[in-house]
Amino acid sequence: MSLDFSQPQRQSAAGILISGAYTLQQFVRAMFIPLALLIFKSNKTVLLYTAFGLTAILVISLIYGYFYYRKFTFYLNTLKQEFVIEKGVFGRKNLTIPVEKIQQVNINQGFLQKLIGVYSLQIDTAGSDSKEVNISAVSGQIAFALKEHLLNGEKSTGANPQTEEAALAAQNLEQDTPFIKIGSSTLLKIGLTSNYGQSIALLLGLGYAVFHNIKEVLKAFDNDNGQIEQFFKSGVTLISVGVLFAAMIILLLATNVIRTFVKYFDFQMSKHQKSLLISSGLLAKKNTLLHPSKVQITEYSQNYFQQKIGLFNMALKQAHAGQQQSEKEVRSNNMEVPGCSSLEKDEVLRMILGKLPSEGKLYRPNFRFMNLLVLFWLVLPLTAYLIFYQYLPEIRSFYPLAIIYVLATSLMIYISYTKHRITVSEDFIIKQSGIWDISQEIVAPHKIQSISTSQYPWHKSLDIGHVTLHTAAGNISFSYGNYTEIKTLVNWWLYQVESGQKDWM
Amino acid sequence: MQEFTNNTIDLGTLPKYEETALTTPDSKYWQIIVINLLIFLFFIGAGLAVITFIDEEMRTNWFIFLGAFLVFAAFLFLVFRTSFKRRGFALREKDVLYKSGIIAETTTIVPLNRIQHVALNEGFLSRMFKLGTLHIYTAGGSSGEIRIAGVPIEQAKALKEALVQRLVVNSALED
Repeated sequence: MSLDFSQPQRQSAAGILISGAYTLQQFVRAMFIPLALLIFKSNKTVLLYTAFGLTAILVISLIYGYFYYRKFTFYLNTLKQEFVIEKGVFGRKNLTIPVEKIQQVNINQGFLQKLIGVYSLQIDTAGSDSKEVNISAVSGQIAFALKEHLLNGEKSTGANPQTEEAALAAQNLEQDTPFIKIGSSTLLKIGLTSNYGQSIALLLGLGYAVFHNIKEVLKAFDNDNGQIEQFFKSGVTLISVGVLFAAMIILLLATNVIRTFVKYFDFQMSKHQKSLLISSGLLAKKNTLLHPSKVQITEYSQNYFQQKIGLFNMALKQAHAGQQQSEKEVRSNNMEVPGCSSLEKDEVLRMILGKLPSEGKLYRPNFRFMNLLVLFWLVLPLTAYLIFYQYLPEIRSFYPLAIIYVLATSLMIYISYTKHRITVSEDFIIKQSGIWDISQEIVAPHKIQSISTSQYPWHKSLDIGHVTLHTAAGNISFSYGNYTEIKTLVNWWLYQVESGQKDWM
Repeated sequence: MQEFTNNTIDLGTLPKYEETALTTPDSKYWQIIVINLLIFLFFIGAGLAVITFIDEEMRTNWFIFLGAFLVFAAFLFLVFRTSFKRRGFALREKDVLYKSGIIAETTTIVPLNRIQHVALNEGFLSRMFKLGTLHIYTAGGSSGEIRIAGVPIEQAKALKEALVQRLVVNSALED
């Protein structure tokens, strides 16, 4: 096996299988309900034809996979330091990525890939279309060596003895002593204490999908007489709301723990030359190598429970293309570190930022921060409720809920006001915010792309204003601060950005 | 701000962005806004007129709708007039400033060494009035960008040229 990347080369031949299986999987997933129907409703001859059809599709996708494999080549132009991919069966596509623009390299191993013993390699740039640069099947040796080349921008070629060293280093890559290693007990703690929002959304989506699919199937069998709705209605009357609530919470926590384990099992973070290597995953192993200097915003957060057990969540946010980003893509641009101790957190900060943020000057918002929030979340809903209270006697008995809502919302608004602050030192800007999860976002002035300041006309005499720092990984805003102070800060940041020679990427 | 004292720079002597003299958009641009508004109002008014004509009940109360329409039109003109008067831009040695806003007054500052690229757009109406819109892109996403509308086309071209030149110089320095 040669590790000379300067010559065009193909993926591993097993890629044919992977791509064939992938196409089939896509097809079956899309046609699941019609297929299931066909199998249930039809006689043997039709079943036979279906089997034939599926086999034909598998064969066709394998043939397509073969041609795709034949036409897919990649190489490293060592002279220009560019990575080039050529692909396409019918239309040809040539992709060229300057090595210095690469933000991170992911090496993943899904279930099927694990069986065959290959890896997929994904290259992320700040551009939006991350899926474009995806080599779906390469051997582990090539994957790690290539990753090394891409992220360190080594000038060595295949004829050079250095390559062997690189290959050796690549093999050693996974044996590097990690400085963060997250064990099962920490994962359990994190699973129990974080990401409630995401899990709720997931459960809701899943519940809807199950409900919808069962209905579809029943409809197809012409049996849908609203049994499911009936079932749910009788369910609500049978089971008391309290038990339901407890069950929901247990389900939520279980989902949370399982999700955390699947995603972050055996999480390790190690330093490798200039880059950070992060690996995790239970079913599919995910390896990511990234440059600390390409991280735009470093964030760590903690909620009440996590504060008690001394754990932090961290996120390393990298540049993304701004517009039209799905949430999934944003998350793939953010490297998350679930559950690290205070010491480990400081270690990561030192690695990313070069040093720990020193004490700076603290800026708090004016109490008018709460005005608009109170108007939109308290005054308007309450007015609406009172108006309906007059005309709809049915909702009058819900007034305890209204009282709870008012108390909870007032408390949340007040907490968000007390937590909203910004700390400015010479090298860093730290923005604190949150209600339950209190997060600290750290950004270095030279990562700022542009600055906006704004002020409402009625705040002119009060000298209150807002500032937003636009970075390639998102915005950081400080609202309702002293406008004179903000203007001084903006001039200072502008001076730092414009006089400094530091590049933001 | 005693935290900054170990710095050799006195914060008070830094150039102040808020005191920069701004160039206002060309007065012809107000005419474009007015034309656009009139077209918009014409369609809404026509729609209202048709509905009033068809509906018996509405026909008897036509004056209410006319009144509401006029108030809406006046409100729109007022809002756009204030927002037009707020607008202004400036090219400083090391950054571009743009001030705008309908209710809140927003100033956006883009340092020249953070500009990704510059686009010059000419709409149908703008072309008749010889105006252009200068769009300055950064890596900070759409909210951190600047769109300067209503710049006389010659000036806009010169500005774009100046910004692009600076860009080339910058990237040449980086290499």
